[in-house]
Amino acid sequence: MKLMRDVYIAGVGETKFAKHSVDYDVLGRAAALEAMRNSNINRPDVVQSAYVGNGMNGIVTGQTVFKDLGMCGRLPIVNVESACSAGGMAVYSAIKDVATGVTDISLGVGCENHSLHMATGTAFAPSMSDIETMHAAVMTGKYAMRANRYMYETGTTIEDLAAITVKNRRHATNNPNAWFKGAITIEEVVNSRMVAYPLTLQQCCGIADGAGAVVVCTKEMINKLGVQKPIKVAGAVVQSGPYHNRPRDITGDDITESCSHQLYEESGIGPEEVNIVELHDAFTIAELLYYECMGLCKKGDGLKYLRDGDSTYGGKCVVSPRGGMLSYGHPIGASGAAQIAACAKQMRGDCHGFQVDPVPRIAMTHVTGGGLSGTEHAACTMHMLMSAW
Amino acid sequence: MSDDVKAKDPKKAPKPDITFFHPDLLVVPENGMPPYLQGYRCKSCGNLDFPKPTICLNCWGEEFEIVPLSRQGVLYSVTDIFIGQAGMKTPYVFGYVDLPENLRIFAQMEGEPGTFKCDDKVELTVGPIRMNRDGLPITSYKFRKTAV
Repeated sequence: MKLMRDVYIAGVGETKFAKHSVDYDVLGRAAALEAMRNSNINRPDVVQSAYVGNGMNGIVTGQTVFKDLGMCGRLPIVNVESACSAGGMAVYSAIKDVATGVTDISLGVGCENHSLHMATGTAFAPSMSDIETMHAAVMTGKYAMRANRYMYETGTTIEDLAAITVKNRRHATNNPNAWFKGAITIEEVVNSRMVAYPLTLQQCCGIADGAGAVVVCTKEMINKLGVQKPIKVAGAVVQSGPYHNRPRDITGDDITESCSHQLYEESGIGPEEVNIVELHDAFTIAELLYYECMGLCKKGDGLKYLRDGDSTYGGKCVVSPRGGMLSYGHPIGASGAAQIAACAKQMRGDCHGFQVDPVPRIAMTHVTGGGLSGTEHAACTMHMLMSAW
Repeated sequence: MSDDVKAKDPKKAPKPDITFFHPDLLVVPENGMPPYLQGYRCKSCGNLDFPKPTICLNCWGEEFEIVPLSRQGVLYSVTDIFIGQAGMKTPYVFGYVDLPENLRIFAQMEGEPGTFKCDDKVELTVGPIRMNRDGLPITSYKFRKTAV
């Protein structure tokens, strides 16, 4: 979107991601409170609007989150749904309020609890009114088809895909909020349970619960709150998926490419300047393809980028420094907000044990949302962040 | 109590669920000729689409002519599903089939897991794709490898 005035991130919060016995609103509340305290906000009457991203936990999710913070009644709260993109879209919406002058300070939260709400052993699928869903489509299979086509066209192997899990889990080793972390071998990833060929269990993001939250505000508010390390929102973009029933190159990603392009144009920052990226690595193949789709490398060079170590510490751009969804799991409403929180912490040098060095000055986040037949994804939300101190 | 009172009110009995996925999309000729899919071409702008659009996505035209689609296509990509939708027997196979009319069809494949690969030539067939609410199979279009 065209930012009418400058917007800054004042503070962020995120919960541990895992299977939680507390529901989405408890998680959302914890992340929101942490984000507000991180912004030096100590009272319930400072934030002027709030957006809560959630996919599947029901109605009035946002108001449920804020009721027990004494904030219901003080500000408009809007609930945002966009499947896996909801958390990012909630932050985007908060940014929009500040950028357009509707508020001076807003809060975007993403929160989700899957564990308490769904039967295990089944895969996510889009709605029954969708022609692909009627034919038994599942999201894992949609990505598996992308993997099979990429392997067919480039000679990429299952072991190459598995290397993404290995890398991201390694990144997450000392991240207290990541669920799965530490050393795992390519063999262990490849030999884990087959979900949708060639994607094995360890190549798929876990079904987790969690929350992230981001406070955004004007420069004046940053000064008023005494925030030492404000992060400028250099760009925020939401797009909806181009729909057609024609052959498309599923090793590309029309909405991600288009969204990235708009983000680079609007922020004035190119992919070669980005230090860290948190993207939609719900499945190993996704991260691999997105190196190309986002222009981190040329089309066809994704595997080389990975094998050369360019997407890990010491490389051109550290992709998934928090460990990505492959380490955190993917509570669909939470991830988009949690990614932004994780990037802000990296940029502030707050990631003891998993700090990217040198400290990143430019970060990019990306979440896609929803398997709608005829589109690559229903939605895509991307942000560009820049250190402003 | 009389039987009338005990009997369920027929107006409240649930409608039976479908057993055939879309007569406007899939035609199984009664004379035994091979089945085929139907595309819809907008009479205003000529845009051809499958499945049937509510309104032309290009020009909002509301009149369509039916176009029988090729029965042969190319399997652009495919995967074997081991953890599937609730109620589906696994493994099952699905893929994207590209037809010469520049349309891509998502469909389940008829054939064994592990036997399909990208760019296989495939042809239309018909078979059960899932169970309906009443526990009966729903028949729809599927693709299988074209017999050599």
